[in-house]
Amino acid sequence: MITAWYCIVSFMLIVYVATDGRNFGAGMLHWVVARKPEERRQVVAAIGPLWSWHEVWLVGFGGTLVAIFPRLMAAAFAGYYLALMLILWCLILRGVSLEVGGHINNPLWQQFWDFVFVVSSCLLAILFGAAAGNLGRGVPLDAQGNFSMAFFTDFKTRGYVGLLDWYTVSVAIFAAIMLAAHGATYLALRTEGPVHERSATYAKYLWGAVAPLFLLISAESWVVRPDLFRSGLYDPLCWLGLFVAIVSAITLISGLSTRRETRAFIGSNGILVGVLATGAAAMFPVMLYSTLAPENSLTANAAAASQSALRYAAVWWPVAFVLASTYFVFISRRYSGKVSLKRDTQGFY
Amino acid sequence: MNSNLSDPAFWSRLQFGFTLSYHYLFPQLTMGLAWFLVYWKWRALRTGDEKYNQAARFWAKIFGLNFAVGVVSGIPMEFQFGTNWAGFSRHAGGVIGQTLAMEGMFAFFLESAFVGALIWGERRLGPRYHFMAAAAVAVGSWTSGYFIIVTNAFMQHPVGYQVEANGSLGLTSLNAYLLNPWAWIQFAHNQMAAVVTGSFVVAALGAFYALRGLYPTQARLYLRAGTFTGLIASILVAFPTGDQQAKMVGRHQPVTLAAMEGRFVGGAKAGVAIIGQPNVAARRLDNPIEVPGGLSFLAYGHFGSFVHGLEDYPQDIWPDNIELLYYSFHLMITLGTLFILLMAYANILHWRGRLEKSTLLLWVLMLAFPFPYLANTLGWMTAELGRQPWLLYNLFYTRDGYSKVVSNGNTIFTLIGFVGLYFVLGLLFLFLVGREVSHGPETEEPLASPLAEPSV
Repeated sequence: MITAWYCIVSFMLIVYVATDGRNFGAGMLHWVVARKPEERRQVVAAIGPLWSWHEVWLVGFGGTLVAIFPRLMAAAFAGYYLALMLILWCLILRGVSLEVGGHINNPLWQQFWDFVFVVSSCLLAILFGAAAGNLGRGVPLDAQGNFSMAFFTDFKTRGYVGLLDWYTVSVAIFAAIMLAAHGATYLALRTEGPVHERSATYAKYLWGAVAPLFLLISAESWVVRPDLFRSGLYDPLCWLGLFVAIVSAITLISGLSTRRETRAFIGSNGILVGVLATGAAAMFPVMLYSTLAPENSLTANAAAASQSALRYAAVWWPVAFVLASTYFVFISRRYSGKVSLKRDTQGFY
Repeated sequence: MNSNLSDPAFWSRLQFGFTLSYHYLFPQLTMGLAWFLVYWKWRALRTGDEKYNQAARFWAKIFGLNFAVGVVSGIPMEFQFGTNWAGFSRHAGGVIGQTLAMEGMFAFFLESAFVGALIWGERRLGPRYHFMAAAAVAVGSWTSGYFIIVTNAFMQHPVGYQVEANGSLGLTSLNAYLLNPWAWIQFAHNQMAAVVTGSFVVAALGAFYALRGLYPTQARLYLRAGTFTGLIASILVAFPTGDQQAKMVGRHQPVTLAAMEGRFVGGAKAGVAIIGQPNVAARRLDNPIEVPGGLSFLAYGHFGSFVHGLEDYPQDIWPDNIELLYYSFHLMITLGTLFILLMAYANILHWRGRLEKSTLLLWVLMLAFPFPYLANTLGWMTAELGRQPWLLYNLFYTRDGYSKVVSNGNTIFTLIGFVGLYFVLGLLFLFLVGREVSHGPETEEPLASPLAEPSV
């Protein structure tokens, strides 16, 4: 039961990263792929109507975490206090910039909100990347299952670590590049004209950079958490995740080189899903690893709520998920194809 | 909470109270306005009269701005259960997390999938599906409200739980938890109050246009819909929902009722104070003007009923800020009464065909719209201050619920951040809504191709 819930919670977070991640990526590339005002509107129109739908995955993840793994939620959210608050503020600014940027047909207004959009998207990609690095490296959990972390301490990965150290910073940079590549792939799919051309080019370069960096990050992770690799080696799910990532990479390469954008985008999503799923599978059953002493680590069993809570949630969650999937069919029909400024822009009003 | 400003629980409470009160300014209008949109879209379908479509289109834009601020200010609420209230999440997460997750999964997916279609999709969807998008958004917003009310009702009146071996709370019955009798009454009361806000805003804009002599058809429509719904909803807020809510507080939280009324000494034939200032040190109400037997009647149905006073209870379970609780409750009641009188008068004038000619009343209607927001906030302050010192009534103290690892330095820093960010957000919101209002409802085609036809 707990294993199943671990999978569901990871699934929701992975869906969030894959869907909103492309928005962060598009936001980071906003200035470079779109140079004229109409081109910028095109980028906003490609992600505009869906950002709140994507954010619901984060809300759903957060709520499910409270219900199923309350002790993880309590320890992690309080421990990551400032970093999470920064993420929240950036999410607020990102959402607002998308919503109101198109309201007024005035260059200064739009330049300002484009700026807010780009900066908040970059920060979000980096902060979520650093958070992923923190999950991998671990946090200074004490014997009571609490921790409180500064932004940085001595930049080392053992003992009383900070949010940022050499490892988490490199994961953050890697995540930002990967999400930018993901966003470029998405923009290539949804746009036309110069934005399309530039996005397709950036997608190639950025994915080209991801490949060697991925090997580098894997090597770093080996140094920081060798135990993850030892346990992952015998975990079929890790191999499955890796397999998905490799197949997706092939799909992506063939999509990019033959200009089949849907295929490339599927591959791009698959890589994210595969890599994150591999990480989640390797970590299990530990959810929050302690850098002070491995025995302080918070496992899924220790973090979980009572059996009854898990059972009740298992009844309603599938129903809700089926409903959400139906809406997704509606959404994907409604917002498929290239954005056309005549039809789809957020518009001024 | 004591008055000690170095108490971390105080800062976490202040931050949660501030971010939540601010956030709720937006959903209350969304929930109230949603059914106006559904009604207008339905009238447009039935009658084919374009004025209903114009009204729906115009208010959908104001709805959209509200919705956006509601979304961005709502996400911090859920996160703060973990960041600032880790003790509470650890203790009761298995129970309250259910509804927090259900809100996202059942309500937000529905709302956010269709809100874009409601605002931007009129041309693509056609009238029938556009009506359905409006209905989906309305249902989504009320569903989300219900899940949050259930969460709060559990804090006010815990049901369907058991204490597990490790001391935390587990769920024994999801049905009992979701169908908490407290939740039903609180939901009815709260939703009617949201409709009051929506009605007052709609009526205020109608009054504004009527006074300016602009868009007469739309102005009449808003005035009629706003004042009619406003009267019904204002009455329903007070009776039966508010009345039942107070009786429920009397049943399950008698000490809270005593504090809300500033009643220190128990007794039969308890009066209800119209005016008076609680003096906690002297344990009396200063300068009281009371209706004799009023409280006995309101709480228990007989003028002679015995009503407990605060002194019947140990002081450590008194709500920790009796003065603020008393004023919140009394101001809410006063405002609610004024709402009924104002809307009744407006409906009488309308019935006699003089509503749009009565300049004075139009001015009052135009300026009255902030007060339902105030009354809603005061109502929630009554509920939450009245629950103290408990986080879960009779189960778990607020002082045990905050995050022990988060320092005051962090909480005060983020509180300042939220205040600054939300202030700017508020200015931006008012500016954009003001712009919509000055553009007016009649100039717009369905939103679709703004770049091809620059409209500004």
